[in-house]
Amino acid sequence: MRTWVAQLSLALIAVIIGIALVAQFRSQARPAELSSLPVAELSTRIQTLSEANRQLRAALADQSSLLADYQAAGAQGSSALDVSREELRRIQAFSGESAVQGQGIIVNVTGSLDAIAVNDLVNELRNAGAEALALDDVRITAKSVVTQGATALEMDGTTIGRTFTVRAIGDPDGLIAALKRPGGIVTQLEQFVSATITVSPTSDLHLPATTLNLVPEFAESVE
Amino acid sequence: MTTLPTRARPRLRSGWVMSMAVALGVLGFVMAAQWNGEVQRASYTTSAQQALAAQALALEQEQESLQAGLAAVESQLTEIQAQSEGSQTELAAVNADLAEARLAAGLTAIHGPGVVIEIADSRRIVPVDENPGNYIVLADDLRDIVVSLWHSGAEGIAINGERLVSTSSIYGVGSSVLVNTAFLSPPFRIEAAGPPGLEERFQADPAYLGRVAHRIEAFDLEFATESQTDLLVPAFIGSTNLRWAVPEGTQ
Repeated sequence: MRTWVAQLSLALIAVIIGIALVAQFRSQARPAELSSLPVAELSTRIQTLSEANRQLRAALADQSSLLADYQAAGAQGSSALDVSREELRRIQAFSGESAVQGQGIIVNVTGSLDAIAVNDLVNELRNAGAEALALDDVRITAKSVVTQGATALEMDGTTIGRTFTVRAIGDPDGLIAALKRPGGIVTQLEQFVSATITVSPTSDLHLPATTLNLVPEFAESVE
Repeated sequence: MTTLPTRARPRLRSGWVMSMAVALGVLGFVMAAQWNGEVQRASYTTSAQQALAAQALALEQEQESLQAGLAAVESQLTEIQAQSEGSQTELAAVNADLAEARLAAGLTAIHGPGVVIEIADSRRIVPVDENPGNYIVLADDLRDIVVSLWHSGAEGIAINGERLVSTSSIYGVGSSVLVNTAFLSPPFRIEAAGPPGLEERFQADPAYLGRVAHRIEAFDLEFATESQTDLLVPAFIGSTNLRWAVPEGTQ
């Protein structure tokens, strides 16, 4: 009887310890609630969300306008054809299926960068608002990634040399500020892989279309 | 014969008391640690944080509403463009190209064979002398996984429902990861459609084995992969309007 009581007591305490340990573990994980985030992180989040929502509002207005154009044209005749052609040009420019031009920056890099470093550079430019990118003469698409090949870095089947150029179309000031911020990607690459990087604005970049077929071969459209 | 119960009884009591003492000691330690943590967190949650958190939450809700509105308009546009098929040869041809361009750009949901990868923060209690940041999923981890998936032949990838497109970045912002316009938190679910065998190629890919696989093992990050025969990868819902880049020849 006493053994049974002792076992039951220990089992009960083990359960309580288990619950407490889980609670303790959860308290060590990253903050789950917005209100528990640091003020600086909340401020950054608000700034980022405000800008993102501004872009979404603009996109919603543009697409609503496009819808109105279609409705006005009745989805027939030359007006609808013009609307569709314009939409096709816009989407092919977005995906990389067509060549684009515009203002932006040129990033010249010399150094022994690994694949992670080059992918990080591209990621940084995208995050800073680059709308179209090319590495040397290869247009960067959603699925373009730099990997270590047998003897050198490669992207979309093209070899990348020790010296290469990334061209990015977007707001030159914003792109340069993002790359050159203290502790940013340029500083990191210069310090950790001894790369030499120059960044310069340009008013007229021309980026080629991708040579890849971006249409899925195995997956199908849901619509 | 008669002495056994009198010897056994003290041993049982002594063992029981020791077990209880150890258990209660552990319980007391854990409860104290938990209580201290709660007090510490409560004292740092200021009114400024609460006001900022409320503002951030309102913006996130606005974003969901804007995305829902955009998805509805995109759906109507797709429907109109599909209706013209067969009604007028040239328009039907352009709209067929448009449907293919949307598919190529990631603006259309896709389904097919693929792999689902889930990764979350480690459940291990962080040792006192170690960096807690090692035990959580970082933007770097997600980038490594995505690079490996693309290199392994993926045709469409989404992270927690955010489809990756030409302008997508995966960026660490404090304790969150920003993908497209959404702040994501773990667990992270990466859905990738692609050729059969994608999971095996991913697991053998140098970009996966090079860094993130070591972190998963060293810090016990939660990680699982599963092949699926008919995986749904959602469409990108966001801005596709380019302000600075224009199609060549139209400037």
